[in-house]
Amino acid sequence: MHMELAKTRAESPPTVGAVEVVGLDKAYGKNMVLRDVNLEMPEGEVLSIIGPSGAGKSTFLRCLNYLEVPTAGTITIGNTTVDAGARPSRASLDHLRRVTGMVFQSFNLFPHLTVLENISLPQIKVLKRSRDEAHEISRNLLSRVGLDAKSGEHPSRLSGGQQQRIAIARALALSPKVMLFDEPTSALDPELGLEVLAVMRDLADEGMTMIVVTHEMNFARDVSDRVMVMADGGVLEVGPSDQIMTQPSHERTRKFLRAVLDR
Amino acid sequence: MIVQILSGVGNTLLITALSLVFGAALGLPLVAARRSSWRPLQLVASAYIDVVRAIPPITWLFLIYFGLPQYALKLNPITASIVGFSLIAAAYMAETYRAGLLSIPAGQWEAATALGMGFFSTTQHVITPQAFRVTLPAIAAYAIALLKDSALASTIGVHDITYQAGLVARSSHQGLLAFTIAGLLYIALSLPLALAARRVDKALRIKLEVA
Repeated sequence: MHMELAKTRAESPPTVGAVEVVGLDKAYGKNMVLRDVNLEMPEGEVLSIIGPSGAGKSTFLRCLNYLEVPTAGTITIGNTTVDAGARPSRASLDHLRRVTGMVFQSFNLFPHLTVLENISLPQIKVLKRSRDEAHEISRNLLSRVGLDAKSGEHPSRLSGGQQQRIAIARALALSPKVMLFDEPTSALDPELGLEVLAVMRDLADEGMTMIVVTHEMNFARDVSDRVMVMADGGVLEVGPSDQIMTQPSHERTRKFLRAVLDR
Repeated sequence: MIVQILSGVGNTLLITALSLVFGAALGLPLVAARRSSWRPLQLVASAYIDVVRAIPPITWLFLIYFGLPQYALKLNPITASIVGFSLIAAAYMAETYRAGLLSIPAGQWEAATALGMGFFSTTQHVITPQAFRVTLPAIAAYAIALLKDSALASTIGVHDITYQAGLVARSSHQGLLAFTIAGLLYIALSLPLALAARRVDKALRIKLEVA
């Protein structure tokens, strides 16, 4: 299934818009946590979002699939547009979630289900796939993330890195157009983080459109096409990874990069 | 003597089991209301839960058995007991469910939502199985408490274990023996329940390996 996905991606022109965000605001009461965030991404692009904690990176990512409800602005993913000002319909939110896959810092696998069931349940309930079909797709994805041997285990028996790879497989099983990663390696030992980053790197190579909130500067520099720097609820700058990592235009970015790279 | 006291076991079990089943079922809409985002519904549910739990069970039984006939609703003692204990059990079960739901990390809802699963699908396949595992010990403990509370039904004339023991005690003048037997019967009834709950709990714990 994903071979097909990757193939159609490769054939489509690279300039097709995958994500477009215009004027996104998010406020908790009077506290503005996101202010006029704009983003345009072509299909197949990998974008890393970096910045100090409290910058609004995760909030922005969680607005994209409406886990957080933005106060204003529009979000377009694929051919679904949601306007925060116009109280979006249930169907448009369902569709927004259908075309996005999300991977969380804390994995959030379902602890009462086996690995195979974790990946199959959403396929059966959301895409109405048959049990057999879902299981087959799940097994293929498990071998893609190198965990075919674990299909019968419960998540608690697995390492954090393995759990996160399964969380990635679970999201991929619904064939999303865009994958959203919310600090996917922050809860992991460096070594376990590497195996997750390897899976993400493969995914990027296959042409998946990805938005990654991360503190992994190597990933931001080496894997992503562009880097977006956020601070205080707004976008400081966006640009090609190399440029942002080596010669950022804002002093605030320089200060942040010095602080993380000096560790 | 034993035979006569044993003849009360049926009513004791009947009241306990039916009240538990009705209470467990009524607790569901109650907890849904309690967690509703619509404030008035939330307040009504909270008020129900608080009021029910603030009044002693025996007072409830008297209210229903002696109070309702004033409005032409004359229930027999067994029905009155089942109604009373069901209403009380609903309040306790609702609170138990609520604690179970609160114990499920927000990340579980978020993951299911992000995967496109709706509220009912998530509740059914993700939240309830986990909440059940968490609330099982509390439900078992409440079932045992209810079994013991059901002795109050004897005060409105239900022929349960305690009622029969009372009859025997008066007719034979062997109160110590009669109520000792009654006590042993309650232990005999609650013990299997406690053991079964412990076993299921342990099995689930091994399967999930959660603390």
